[in-house]
Amino acid sequence: MKTPVEVTVNKKKYKVEVDTRMILADMLREELRLTGTHIGCGTGNCGACTVVLNGETVKSCCIIAADANGQEITTIEGLSSSATELHPIQQAFVENQGLQCGYCTPGMVLSTLQLLKDNPNPTEDEIRHGISGNLCRCTGYQFIVQSIQDAAKRLSNGGQPGASQ
Amino acid sequence: MKYIGKGIPGKNNQILTAGKGTFVGDITLPGMCHLAVVRSPYAHARIKSIDTSAAEQVPGVITTITGEEIVRNTKPIPTHSSALGEKKFQFYALAIGKARYVGEPVAAVVAEDRFTAKRGAELINVIYEDLPPVVDAEKALEAGSALVVDEWGDNILSSRIEVHGDPDARIKAAAGTVRGDVRTQRYTGCSIEPRGYIASYDRYRAKLTLWASTQSPHSLRLFLSETLGLRESQIQVIEPHVGGAFGLKLPTFPEEPLICYLAIKLERPVRWIEERTENLLAGGHAREMRLAFEAGYEKDGRVTALKVRLLADVGAPSALCGWGMANVAAFLIPAVYKIPDVKVERITVVTNKCPWNAYRAYGKEASMLMLERMMDMVAERTGLDRAEVRLRNFIQPNEFPYKQVSGASLDSGNYQRVLASALEAADWSGFPALQASAKKRGELIGIGLAYELTPEGGCIPKSSLLSAYDGTRVQVSPKGEVTIMTGVTSPGCGNETGIAQIVADELGVSPDIITVVQGDTDTCPFGLGNSSSRSVIFGGSAAKLAAGELRDKMSRVAARMLEVSPEDLELDGGKIVVKGAPSRSVSFADVASTIYRDAFTLAACDEEPGLDTTRYFRHGNFDAMNKQPDPEGRLNFYSTWPNGATIAVVRVDIETGMVTVLRLLSVHDAGVLINPMLVNANLHGAFAQSLGGALFENLVYDEAGQLQTASFMDYTMPTAVDLPNFETKHEETPSPFNPLGAKGAGESGISGPMAAVAGAIDDALRQAGLSVHVMEMPLTPNRVWKYIVAAKNAQRGNPQ
Ligand code: FES
Ligand code: FES
Repeated sequence: MKTPVEVTVNKKKYKVEVDTRMILADMLREELRLTGTHIGCGTGNCGACTVVLNGETVKSCCIIAADANGQEITTIEGLSSSATELHPIQQAFVENQGLQCGYCTPGMVLSTLQLLKDNPNPTEDEIRHGISGNLCRCTGYQFIVQSIQDAAKRLSNGGQPGASQ
Repeated sequence: MKYIGKGIPGKNNQILTAGKGTFVGDITLPGMCHLAVVRSPYAHARIKSIDTSAAEQVPGVITTITGEEIVRNTKPIPTHSSALGEKKFQFYALAIGKARYVGEPVAAVVAEDRFTAKRGAELINVIYEDLPPVVDAEKALEAGSALVVDEWGDNILSSRIEVHGDPDARIKAAAGTVRGDVRTQRYTGCSIEPRGYIASYDRYRAKLTLWASTQSPHSLRLFLSETLGLRESQIQVIEPHVGGAFGLKLPTFPEEPLICYLAIKLERPVRWIEERTENLLAGGHAREMRLAFEAGYEKDGRVTALKVRLLADVGAPSALCGWGMANVAAFLIPAVYKIPDVKVERITVVTNKCPWNAYRAYGKEASMLMLERMMDMVAERTGLDRAEVRLRNFIQPNEFPYKQVSGASLDSGNYQRVLASALEAADWSGFPALQASAKKRGELIGIGLAYELTPEGGCIPKSSLLSAYDGTRVQVSPKGEVTIMTGVTSPGCGNETGIAQIVADELGVSPDIITVVQGDTDTCPFGLGNSSSRSVIFGGSAAKLAAGELRDKMSRVAARMLEVSPEDLELDGGKIVVKGAPSRSVSFADVASTIYRDAFTLAACDEEPGLDTTRYFRHGNFDAMNKQPDPEGRLNFYSTWPNGATIAVVRVDIETGMVTVLRLLSVHDAGVLINPMLVNANLHGAFAQSLGGALFENLVYDEAGQLQTASFMDYTMPTAVDLPNFETKHEETPSPFNPLGAKGAGESGISGPMAAVAGAIDDALRQAGLSVHVMEMPLTPNRVWKYIVAAKNAQRGNPQ
């Protein structure tokens, strides 16, 4: 069965018809072609599907697409205008090698966005807890933690690389 | 400006961080339909009949398929090598006659959308006759055990006894002996991107294109061509961005020929993206090994003899290359140590569990863990420091290349220096004081040490997956743009960046202007893809050779343009410059332009037009001019021998058995580092996977052969809070066998942490007066607690 869904994604309005069984992650990927939202488990454990729903990060594999009707969503594609003009968080990940295969990265970046919104100056421990809902199998998290520390500096510095300490 | 040795972030970082990568699941083709696989719910069952009629009536179902059709229309899936003495089996894309593990593909449905495909799959009615499953390797060896493959007469895939010297006599004569029974549990790589494929057939060109989350497109093409009866030129395999692989995306999985067959049959693109449960059930497992050892030592701590019985449970037979990990585990003994008399008995057993596929470290981890547990015990018995015992058994720096008793040919190393550097960085000798003050606070902490040897650049005779060579093509365009096309691939590990750095240095240009093309059988030279840390040592060396030829040619043309001799020129900063006279130069682009656009001018007319070279690099370190086997009939399976010392500090909660890793430090020798940042990145990832395996990752089967850990709810991997900040340092002993001196850095870091953590747990418990040698992984709180209780009971029964 299909049902109509109207959503605002990355400030753009979309009207689609989706299968009632479809999850939000699949709607973003298959219907809206926003494939930066990834699927790693489908059970809410890996965080690869993390998106921002009405200002809070959620795991989009655990939300039925139809339930997103009328809501506002930001995906990784909404963070930067192009691959060359990245958000300061993304730029910090790029320069600190906060990724390897890049599959977990969109989710990590959006969890970082939330983390730094809630706590602009987190300790290492707070960073590790802040991303504990996102699994990364490549990096051992260390360069991700460094990226987030750098991102915090950049954000408090108007997006520019912070003075190194 | 030199780029080799610089920590440059990965070339793909921007696009991936922007969420604009292209993974296989991101690709949509016009007219694409979807595959769902029907998998056996039984570990061991005879397939009596399959009724597909109900599925076919579902609107939107396009076709169904069973093993019968596959056998009629495809050839068996070849195995990767025929030279390792294993029993033979005919593998097909779908189970024939019997299902041998839960999750084995039995039938499949193609439909217009995924929901319909899955609905169709549910409606396929397979009648099974449940057979007794074989789920335990020891029991599989018992007479009267059920048989995984009836025709074999037993459950042994292969076995081998390798004896050097007379270990029995030496053990008898030794001052003392130590014994242990090391077990590594079944676990796996679990890349966050599961497997996935899209196959598409172009009838006009009679050409199949497969987009695959794979590591080895050319090998996969070869396998597919044999299975499907197509010419290799009729198949293009493309590896888009891959979200982690760790060995587990090496071909060949049954879904690969299955989806290709269906795309050809339907003349429509077909997509299959693995679900996580399918991945855990059927995406390849690893590690489940048992190594029972006995070693004899002298009072000075030298180990003189070692006997090992290695039993590997490789799961059901398959065309995957995973079972070879048992061979490597055996081959690696005694690694960095000079133990003259060694016997290794290896028994590789099949069971009704998921087949093994290759997983990072490829068996090396199990024998390293065994050897390091052995060294710790010898230290304890002799009263020597754990580092000292290792020092007394190491191969000496002046003995390289060193021929091990196993036939292994170790290229280079200085284990003494690496160990010394690690001890210093960790303040090994200062630890007892820390430990004492922790004890006063009521905390039990311990330190452990492990030495790991991680040979790389695997090479197996008659193999279509592993050999010590690869090919790279380097092109300079008329505009002076540089493109590298290589047979090695990068499923997310960064070698594209390292290879660009190598070529940048040869051509004196920035890596930023270099495009690296990988993972496309129609564009890249034949190569064996990514595994065994082979990409930089083979693909990078080939790139260096190819770029070197272009550099020489461009230098000759530039020399004529500048009226100097080519020897007086150097390539740097995008220019070709007269050495010592920086004002006299031509730009790299001008020289390229001259060669293409002014081929008949004086400067270029003696050169063959074009700037385009493909070179294959064959790695040294295989005996008698790269021939195998050596004069004594032994094979050397590896090109280079990275190694490292790992030191771990843990806290053990004696009430609960909970282990917390407080510190993990590693000094590593990967030879010359092309990109230290990416080497560290790879090491960190390996440490995380190692600690996951050491502490909790576990694929648990029940007695019926049902997997109890088939989702990420139950299969737990380390999150950021489970891991410490890692400390890494490097020592460099270049490999003499390739022009880079590099030794590879993809798998290192798996073996060391788990063995160091095991030693650290023993050490912590010693502070509580308990004598424990943890041997069985994973070291979950429950298991460590059991060790504690057993040690307490032993103490009570046997007061000192
Ligand atoms: S895909 Fe949603 S949490 Fe893993
Ligand atoms: S970078 Fe590969 S999973 Fe995180």
